[in-house]
Amino acid sequence: MGDAAFADNPTPVSRRRLPSAARSDRRFKWLLVTPAILVILAISIYPLVFSIWVLFVNYDFQIPGHAYVGLKNFRQVIFDPVARYSLLVTVCLTATNVLIEFLLGLAIALAMTKTFRGRGIIISIIIVPLFISPVIVGQAWALLLQRPFGPTNYLLGQLLGQEVTISWLTQWPWNFVALVLADVWQWTPFMFVILLAGLTAIPPHVYEAAELDGVGTWQTFWHITMPYLAPMIALAVTFRLLDSIRLFDTIFIMTGGGPGTQTYTVSYYLYTIGFTQFHLSRATAGAWIFLILTLIVVVFLVRRLLKQEES
Amino acid sequence: MNDRERRDFEAGLAREVDSWLRGEPTRRDFIKRFGQATGMLALSGAVLPPFARSALAQSKMQLEDPNTPLGKAQAAALKASTEGPTDGSAYRAVEAAKQYSGVNLNMTYEAGLQALDPRNFSGPLWQDLTGIKSTVVELPPPDMYSKPISEHIAGSSAYDVLDLQPQWTPALADGGVIAPLDDYIAKYMNMADLEDYHPLYKALPTYKGKIWGFFDDGDMFALYYRKDIFEDPKLNEAYQAKFNKKLEVPKTWEDYAQVAQFITDQMAPNVYGAGHFRKAASPGNQFDFMQQFRANGGRFFDENMKADLANEIGVRTLENMKAANAASIPGNNELDAVSLWAAWLQGKIAMMYSWPPTGRMSAGYSQSDKAISFIPQSSIAGKVGYAIVPGGHPEHAFGFNKALAADSENPEAAYLFMQWACSPPVSLARCMLPYALRDPYRISHFKSELYGELFPSAPEYLANLNNSANVGLLDPIMPGAQDYQLSLDRMATSVWAGADPMEALKTAEAEWNATTENLGVDSQKAFYEEFLKLPGATPDNTVEKLGMAVQL
Amino acid sequence: MTATVSAGPAPRRRRRGRRLPIGRILLLGIYLMFILAPLYWVLITSIKPSDDYLAVPPVWFPDAPTIVHYTAALFAYRGLQGLINSLIISISATALSCLIGTLMAYSLARFRTGGMHLSFWVLSQRFLPPIAIILPLFLNYRLVGLQDTHVGMILAYTMFTLPVTVWMMYAYFRQMPRSLEDAALVDGCTRWQALWTVAIPLAVPGIVAAAIFTFIACWTEFFFALVLTSRDAFTLPTVFRAFLSFQGAQYGEASALAIVSLGPSIILGVLVQKHLVRGLTLGAIRG
Repeated sequence: MGDAAFADNPTPVSRRRLPSAARSDRRFKWLLVTPAILVILAISIYPLVFSIWVLFVNYDFQIPGHAYVGLKNFRQVIFDPVARYSLLVTVCLTATNVLIEFLLGLAIALAMTKTFRGRGIIISIIIVPLFISPVIVGQAWALLLQRPFGPTNYLLGQLLGQEVTISWLTQWPWNFVALVLADVWQWTPFMFVILLAGLTAIPPHVYEAAELDGVGTWQTFWHITMPYLAPMIALAVTFRLLDSIRLFDTIFIMTGGGPGTQTYTVSYYLYTIGFTQFHLSRATAGAWIFLILTLIVVVFLVRRLLKQEES
Repeated sequence: MNDRERRDFEAGLAREVDSWLRGEPTRRDFIKRFGQATGMLALSGAVLPPFARSALAQSKMQLEDPNTPLGKAQAAALKASTEGPTDGSAYRAVEAAKQYSGVNLNMTYEAGLQALDPRNFSGPLWQDLTGIKSTVVELPPPDMYSKPISEHIAGSSAYDVLDLQPQWTPALADGGVIAPLDDYIAKYMNMADLEDYHPLYKALPTYKGKIWGFFDDGDMFALYYRKDIFEDPKLNEAYQAKFNKKLEVPKTWEDYAQVAQFITDQMAPNVYGAGHFRKAASPGNQFDFMQQFRANGGRFFDENMKADLANEIGVRTLENMKAANAASIPGNNELDAVSLWAAWLQGKIAMMYSWPPTGRMSAGYSQSDKAISFIPQSSIAGKVGYAIVPGGHPEHAFGFNKALAADSENPEAAYLFMQWACSPPVSLARCMLPYALRDPYRISHFKSELYGELFPSAPEYLANLNNSANVGLLDPIMPGAQDYQLSLDRMATSVWAGADPMEALKTAEAEWNATTENLGVDSQKAFYEEFLKLPGATPDNTVEKLGMAVQL
Repeated sequence: MTATVSAGPAPRRRRRGRRLPIGRILLLGIYLMFILAPLYWVLITSIKPSDDYLAVPPVWFPDAPTIVHYTAALFAYRGLQGLINSLIISISATALSCLIGTLMAYSLARFRTGGMHLSFWVLSQRFLPPIAIILPLFLNYRLVGLQDTHVGMILAYTMFTLPVTVWMMYAYFRQMPRSLEDAALVDGCTRWQALWTVAIPLAVPGIVAAAIFTFIACWTEFFFALVLTSRDAFTLPTVFRAFLSFQGAQYGEASALAIVSLGPSIILGVLVQKHLVRGLTLGAIRG
């Protein structure tokens, strides 16, 4: 397919040049990466290392001092039922969101593969949600759904011919429906864009051959389209999974975690204990657990994926 | 263009665009002005970083027409600051502060409306009087707590004057974020001004025998009801026929739910019996629960400092609140304070209890300022009655203290600003600003004739706030108050969503005990006992029960 | 061959079929309405007088539209300063991120500096949960005086967008033929000269695309701004959030500010449509 793989495979230049040039090349190449590495070290790595100390001491605004507390911070997080529940919510919401976004994105991409009049404008509209701050997306949906401001219930009532009184933001399961709607609204275009790129890259002669052989539409889809599309799907789904597990902004704006702790995600939970309750070390411990869980996914999924692209 | 001109210009621009949108013939003017505005924007973009703060953060002082009540109050504040009486707190603060001319004070304020007072009135006025500049740091409510703490942890002197909720005092005092004021008070204040605080609010900022701030916002819940509905003869007849008693403004929470349901049954969908802010983290649930739970005879902790929520009283309270929810406007459980106001001002609700701005908005006074563009004009002005909330023990929800940041580089100047801003004449003028969300808290406020002239029923409104304070209850003031209240909010919203009240109460109780244990049972017990000594801590300990009630 | 999401000619696969089947029209129509509905409602809310908020049936278009929410949000409150701060911070961070990101990408692409480890390490920054680094970052910013400054925000956003610029440019350089640079070297240019006079000018289209994605990422970022700014360097999304605090849930003002904030990012986003695939996948898939 040639698209996802990189075209040329560079051979190190130094092999073809003189030893002194090789030495200056080495200096040169490290010089180029230094500023970027310094920024990452200063803004990302150093804080992380610093926070290792925070993990094992008391760093809680309401309790003075930074006494060594061993694993207490971890214990408090692990034995907090809300923490475990929020992990469950995160996993379920992520799975639902990504699945729906994938299916819908694929459907739209399939519908848009062929050219027709107005296709360009439609694509421009479809991608708009990608450029909007998630805080604003959450607020837009809250405005649309929230009683008594939002027109949604009224519209549904007109459509169904009876009064609709759904509390979209506070009533199970509608609060999850609302959160999924907002996420699907914002991120389906992501799937769509990548899958459309994959679809338009499938060489036409493959289809033509299939058509000549009299292969049915479904079979074409399963045996030609999907295999060609598989690397793109893997990539899109992985990216979305990794972003989706950080879900915070829409929860923050739309449900505030409620009712009760029903819509707490991991990020919202950590934000609550860290920045509204100010149990800083407990929040840091939770964040590290979350970080390690994420890293496992990153290492296994992303690395494999990119290596595959590389070869 | 100076600030005043710019504001006028913008107001004019808004008007013109509005009329243009309506199709009135000002198009040419509009285009001209739009061009000017765009040019100004581009210009300010180019020069902004150095001048941004002075140009945009601080507007010029806005004084009202001296013939209006507010204008008179502002003139009185100015006079008290410049001419005296020379032993008044305002005058003494100004005189002492002049030595700090040129200093800049950073003051935290709730973002949005609250911040308009220091930006448009008290900040510029103080600068004119003393030469002390001020920068207003606008923060959303949760950050008003967390930012001072994190700045303190980081060892900065970013803030000088802090606007804080009283319940945060112990945590911030013990954490070293705020400094006690006793020495300054002894040096600068006229003690009569301290006595002018309503007794409930006077004791509020004290902790461990010291004074940690000046109380500055009487956030007392009160019941607001539609007189025209309660006086409607047909409704009265129907109520008499159904319940065999008179239709009255409810005195108990059971009556409240019953009356609300009755009005909803009779008048929906035009009017509903009640409305509440019940959205998660909006906040409101915890105040409502604490208000009713204590009125019903509940206590928060037992002798051993174990939470005492999961009992018959807790269940009764939640069941009663559920009944009130069911009797309320559709979408009740998703309302926040502002949506509730919108519904109320448009006449869709017969009763509501909320913070005191409700009264000023109902009368249409707040909406006289263009900054209040987010709530509708009042369609119920003149129809609103005031009463103490059912159960007889209204919650004093939130409130604000002005506190002195311990890390301030100019503590004395900061203190003097606080003393001046909270002094009787200046605080009165601030409370009377139409856009202010600051509510009366001094005896002299409740008695003020100028405030009484703001709208026809203002004297009754003030009297009701005073009477509410006489029997009002305080939010618990102790470390962990945030955590305890968060648990209550979660508990309440889960019950609204269908959870079993007893189970929810047990969950909240477990969370409360975990919080207590985490902070130390013995020390929390000591804090709680300290809190119980305050007037207004329990229904047995209200200002009235202590014999200190203020009669106007 | 190159995949594209622009309106360019797509491969013709079926003979019939300029006209779409009804099912597809329906699907696309419903989906477009789904996309546009919230945007429309935010727009309408921003020009609605607050008296219309609770009307039943809902007011689909106000009889007396008003711009009072815009003037209030921008001038009476802090919207204008937030807008200007957002511009300063986003543009500077974009420039910085593109500069050092491009340099690093060039080094990675041409010399395989640090092997897969270095490039992967940069990429992994993209997936760090922000909550994990924000607290220590805050404490250290305070120590060195970067808290609540434009410089501090610019540095934070530079770090936060580096994975995007590095990986996008990495992919770009790898597909760019090296023969021209080699020719320049043979002609006696130094490495630096070859980089600045040959490679970078050739990479300008890629850099522009990366810059726009970086800008949009900075423009819409909320969490860092929430914690790292207060008085001076606050950005548009934090002002937006302040309109939603409880006693002043100012929906009209919030919507007005949302519309103001949407403008630049949507326009840029649509302009850069051609490069969208590459931007979204950090260059792993070429658009």
